[in-house]
Amino acid sequence: MEFLGGRGFNSARLYPEVLANVGPLSPENKLMFATGPLVGTAFPLGARFNVSAKSPLTGILGDSNAGGHFAAEMKFAGYDQIIIEGRSPKPCLIFVHDRETQILDAAHLVGKDVYETTEIVRKDLDRRVQVATVGPAAENLVPYSGIFANLARPAARTGMGTVMASKNLKAIVLMGTGGVKIADSGAFWRIVEEVEEATYAHPQYWPRRVMGTTRILSLANNMGFLPTRHFTSATFEHTTEVSGERLAREYNVKNRACFSCIVPCSRIYVIREGDYAGLYGEGPEYEALSSFTARVGNSNLNLALKAVDLANKLGLDAITTAECIAWAMELHERGELSKKETDGLELNWGNGKTILELIEKIAYRKGFGDLLADGVRRAAERLGRGKEIAFHVKGLELIQADPRGLKGYGLGYAVSSRGADHLRSEPFLELSDDPDEGIEKFGIPEATLRLAHRGKGRLVRYFEDWCAVVDSLEICKNLAENMELLPLKRAAEITEVVTGFHFTKESMSEIGERIVNLERAYIVRQGITRKDDNLPQRFLKEPLPDGNSKGAVFEMELMLNEYYAERGWDSNGIPKPQKLREIHLEHVVKDLREMRSKPKRKRIRRTDIRCNTLKR
Amino acid sequence: MKRIIVDADRCSGCRLCEAVCSFAHENVFGSSVSRVTVVKEDVFGFDMPITCWHCRRCLPMETCPSKALKRNSEGLIYAIKEECIGCGKCVKACRVGAIKLHPGMHTPLICDQCGGKPLCVRKCPTKALTYSKTRMQRPRLPGKVLEETLRKWGIIA
Repeated sequence: MEFLGGRGFNSARLYPEVLANVGPLSPENKLMFATGPLVGTAFPLGARFNVSAKSPLTGILGDSNAGGHFAAEMKFAGYDQIIIEGRSPKPCLIFVHDRETQILDAAHLVGKDVYETTEIVRKDLDRRVQVATVGPAAENLVPYSGIFANLARPAARTGMGTVMASKNLKAIVLMGTGGVKIADSGAFWRIVEEVEEATYAHPQYWPRRVMGTTRILSLANNMGFLPTRHFTSATFEHTTEVSGERLAREYNVKNRACFSCIVPCSRIYVIREGDYAGLYGEGPEYEALSSFTARVGNSNLNLALKAVDLANKLGLDAITTAECIAWAMELHERGELSKKETDGLELNWGNGKTILELIEKIAYRKGFGDLLADGVRRAAERLGRGKEIAFHVKGLELIQADPRGLKGYGLGYAVSSRGADHLRSEPFLELSDDPDEGIEKFGIPEATLRLAHRGKGRLVRYFEDWCAVVDSLEICKNLAENMELLPLKRAAEITEVVTGFHFTKESMSEIGERIVNLERAYIVRQGITRKDDNLPQRFLKEPLPDGNSKGAVFEMELMLNEYYAERGWDSNGIPKPQKLREIHLEHVVKDLREMRSKPKRKRIRRTDIRCNTLKR
Repeated sequence: MKRIIVDADRCSGCRLCEAVCSFAHENVFGSSVSRVTVVKEDVFGFDMPITCWHCRRCLPMETCPSKALKRNSEGLIYAIKEECIGCGKCVKACRVGAIKLHPGMHTPLICDQCGGKPLCVRKCPTKALTYSKTRMQRPRLPGKVLEETLRKWGIIA
């Protein structure tokens, strides 16, 4: 009731159980899988699960979300949350078959990639089992490796796979024969029909079905926020060659969907001719596609598909991997990284051979790959160069949208509880560039203008709360939020008819707020304050050089002040006791009191930092 | 007679058919009690729903040691629960794999076409399932369809 499920459950458990002094890769860290109340039913907006733990990449809250069929199987087996504690003395896998849980030996799976592991487990145990597994990258403790379900459905961000591997756990295997009952079936089917009708009539239904999220690549290029060549440009001259449109026209053979979803937006591609002919697989989505095309300056679509496939196979997060490679490429192009330091690799933009080789080197921590294998923040520290172009927030690498062209998204990256990521807020409304929406929903016309700064605090706050609810119900954010198929009112209705507990629009929004504040408290306890809610310098200083957002820079302070005020946090970004009591987080107040007293003494230092920023 | 016809190319593998089927028959959402089952091969991205074709010659019916499987006047095969001994021989006998046993009661789950208005067909988001008359006497086997599909996609020669 207080946290709904999914992400809410995980955060609520993580806060009291994984404290500030716990090392991310120590046995004391806890890995949590959770799914939501709507999962397993025929509610037609997908079925997802969240994985949370303390992140080895960022050292703060680690949390990632994936779709496919794993979540539904978890419900059929009878579980809402699975928590893994401690560490196994030898490699193992956990097999959950309804109420029976076995820990099986996994010595034969060590070193096997994601695809092989899934296949072997299915062959050994049962064809119908659902498998969440980690690849060799996780076993080599690369801190940005993910947990992969259904081969190509990764919970990849923040290195949850690494935590899993640190527990000597290769896979979690589920088989469930149970079922999910609901409280009020008449009302359930009425709402389902409403949602179905709204979905099929939605203008985004067909584009999403044909291209999934890859359609964003052309859109980002047109609007001028494509992170081309490591954010040195906002448009990519080879967009048509690597776009989602081309992928759909020439490569895709069929569509696939997550459990119970009526928008089959995932696609199977087959490379018929050219490089890597014969390669096939599921995906990619926009983030991965853009990672290995625009971000690294590559115009060869076949190569990008190969790179995504390789990253999936080895169990890496495509976004972070691409940032690390693109970072090294920019350094090389500037002449700050010599061939000697990179094991003789040619790091010019779009060099396909290098990209593939580096992915492999990162996963196995070989040579130059070892430097990149700790994420871009630590790579810059270790190298002692390129700190200003290491694009991360709180240690998590930026996604594929330039914040200069999307101010609300940018603010979202800066304040997100897991680092630079759009999925915590995703204020898609600003893409409409329609001031009327802003006035109607937020009372500020600029709130929905993507290049304006005012009103973004309110915008981001609203979407963060909504996203927390969607993540906790564990349905698809693309449909529920971006397509506006599940506004909070409808979310309250459907949760009520499924669970039998009473919910309203207001109580839903409060749950969202509670989750966001609890997560904030969690990272504040890890030492995060205002100084960490920032974007890399390039976005604050260098105007965008080209495209439809040309000349835009990012003004952090104004937006941050507005956001803190909206949230009821103090000027240092720490939730005020009054706010915490209001949303029933009394137990957090005491923990934050200690944090709050410290910054008072440090106030001078804080201004110092701000002055420095201005001077620089 | 009318049959539920499957087009594997269109199937997205969402298993909504399983969910609505189990709810319509057992009042619970759970794939283990649905009369339709989606066969999935994640490696190739292959999905194909399977449900009873009500073949004119039904091997499970011939195999059943207690003669619990019967055919009604419309040609649909059904199980008499009282006579079923739960041996599971029908599951093995069906070449398509259209029968599974109820995990609690161990009686066969066989598609009844929802009395002429199959819910899975109505709810299928990609129209991979259709309900119409066909002259085909036997359903297509998933293994064969997979092979054909892969050949069509150019994955195998």
